[in-house]
Amino acid sequence: MKIRAIALNTFSSLLRNKIIILFCAGCICILLLMLTPLLILRKQSGTQNAEMMQMAVLPLIGSMMTFISGFGSLLAAWSASDAVASEMRSGTVLALLARPVRRWEFLLGKFLGVQLMMFVFVLIMLGLNYLLAWIGGATIQTNPWVLIVYPMVRYMVYSSLGILLVTVMHPIVAFCIVLVTMIGAGLVAPGNPQTFMPEWLRTGLFYIFPSSNLLSETRFLTITRATLRAALWTDHATALAYGLDYALVCFLLAAWIFHSRSLSRD
Amino acid sequence: MAAVIEFQHVTKVYKRIFSEEKLAALSDVSFEMEPGQVCAFLGPNGAGKTTSISMLMGFFFPTSGQIRVFGKPPGDLAAKEQIGFLPENFAFHKFLTAPKLLRFHLQLAGRNPDSAGTLISDLLNKVKLNGYENLKIGKYSRGMVQRIGIAQALLCDPNLIVLDEPTSGLDPAGRREVLQLLTQLKAEGKTIFLSSHILPEVEQIADHVIIINRGKMVRSGSLRDLLASGGQVEIVADRVPDELRHSTLSGAIVEPVQQGVRFLVEAARKREAVEALWAAGCDVIAMTPQRNTLEELFLKEVDTPGGAK
Repeated sequence: MKIRAIALNTFSSLLRNKIIILFCAGCICILLLMLTPLLILRKQSGTQNAEMMQMAVLPLIGSMMTFISGFGSLLAAWSASDAVASEMRSGTVLALLARPVRRWEFLLGKFLGVQLMMFVFVLIMLGLNYLLAWIGGATIQTNPWVLIVYPMVRYMVYSSLGILLVTVMHPIVAFCIVLVTMIGAGLVAPGNPQTFMPEWLRTGLFYIFPSSNLLSETRFLTITRATLRAALWTDHATALAYGLDYALVCFLLAAWIFHSRSLSRD
Repeated sequence: MAAVIEFQHVTKVYKRIFSEEKLAALSDVSFEMEPGQVCAFLGPNGAGKTTSISMLMGFFFPTSGQIRVFGKPPGDLAAKEQIGFLPENFAFHKFLTAPKLLRFHLQLAGRNPDSAGTLISDLLNKVKLNGYENLKIGKYSRGMVQRIGIAQALLCDPNLIVLDEPTSGLDPAGRREVLQLLTQLKAEGKTIFLSSHILPEVEQIADHVIIINRGKMVRSGSLRDLLASGGQVEIVADRVPDELRHSTLSGAIVEPVQQGVRFLVEAARKREAVEALWAAGCDVIAMTPQRNTLEELFLKEVDTPGGAK
C-alpha cells in the first residue's frame, strides 16, 4: 500500500510538472508540423497513384516514430530523475521518510509512478502508430503487446538510469549524462557505420551503455515492408531480459546509494 | 523506565568532497529523554539543532556515537511508527488538499485511509483548518501550511512528537493555538521533543531543557532546576544598618519598599546575609528565590565565551 501510494502520488505530481508539460507540448508541436505534409499527401492521393503516395509517406512515418521513441526515452529519464530530485529540493522527502517507509520503497514508488506515466505515453504512442498507419494507408500487423512491452522495458532502463544518477548529482547533470549515453549507445550499436572508434572501445561501450536498439519497438512496426520480420520468442526473451536486467542493476545501485546518503532539503 | 531518545557521545562532522575541509556540526552530545516529558531543544541558529533532529529521524548518520529511539536505531520502522514529525519549514505536495495529504500520509503509515474520515476531520478541526478542505495546499498561507504540518505529525496518534520550529511562520494567535495544542498533548502523556526560538512559550510547557551552542551541549536539565540555579534571592528586612551595606551586603541592590528594605543577593550568599541581619537585630520579613527566565538563561549560556567553542 505504501509503494502504491507513493507511485500514485508521483504520477499525479508528474502530470502537473511544468517542465514535462513543456516537453510534451514541444513534442506535440513538432509532430503536428511533421503531420502536415502527411495530411497534404493523403489529400492528394485521391487523384494520384496510391502506391506512389505510400512510398512518400512511409519514410516520414518512420522518422516520426523514431523521434517519438527517442523522446520517450528522454522523458522517462527526466521524469525519474526529477521525481526524486523534486522531493529532495522541496523537502517533502523528509515528511515522507519520517513515516515507516524504507528508502528503497520510496525509490520503488517513484520508479513505478514514472512507469505509470510512461505506460500512458506508450498507449498514446500506440494509438498514434495506428493513426499514422491508417493515414499512410498501411496496416500494422505486429501483435500490440510488442508495441507496449518493448518501449516499456526501454523506458524502465532509462528511468532507472536517471534515478541512479540523480541519487548522486543534480537532475540536469543526470539528464545530460543520460542524453550523452543515449547518443553513445546509438554510435556503438552494431550496424552503425562510424569508424573513429577502435573496435575494443566500441565493444566495451556497447556492453556498458544501455544499448536499447534491441528494445526499439520500431523493429516490429510493420508499416514498412523493410522492417517487417518475424521474431522468435527467444528473440523477445533475450531482448526483454537484457533490458530488465539493466534496469534492475541500475535500480539496485540507486537503492544502495540512496540508503546511505544524507537526506536534507537541497 | 526506558528512555525514549538516547544520544550517546554523538558527533557529526561534515566533510567536503575533494577537500580536507571539515565542519563539526555536533561534538560529543549526550542526553536522554524520558517518556511523557516535553523536552525543549534550544540553541542559536547554526548550533546543530536541525542536524540533531535529522539524525534522530534517520536522515543523517552520526560520524561517531550512538542514537536510540525507543531503544532502536534511528530510521527503524518500528520506531518510526511511533513518531510524529514536523520538519522545519515543512513542505508538501502543493497539488493536494489537506484531507488528501492526510490520507496519503495514512497510507504511508500502512493504515487504511477509507475509514479515517472522522479522524481527518477531527484533526483539521484541531488545527483550525476546517472549512479549507477543498483548498489546495499550494494556496495556503505560511501559517496554514505549518498547521497542516502539525496535523500530519499528530496523524497516527504517535507516542513521540518531534517538532522542529513548530511556531515558525505563525502569527501570535497561531502560536498561542499551537501552544494550547502542545499543552493538551502533554496532558495526554505524549512525549514531545521540540526546538524553538520562542523561549517564553517553550518555558510554559517544557519539563526538560537542552541548550546547545556551536555543536556542543552547554546545559541540560529540568526546567525548574535550570531556572532556579545560579539565580538570586530577594530578602526583605525591616531595615538594614549602614555597616552591613558596606560589609556583608556590599554589592547587593538595596531599595526601600513598604515593609522596609528589599535587596537581592546571590543565592550562595543568602545564609550569610540573613545571619548578618539577625545579628544586627534586624527582622527578616521575607526571603524569595528569584527565578531566571528561560530567555535569560539561554542568552547567558550562548553568550558566555567559555560556554562552548
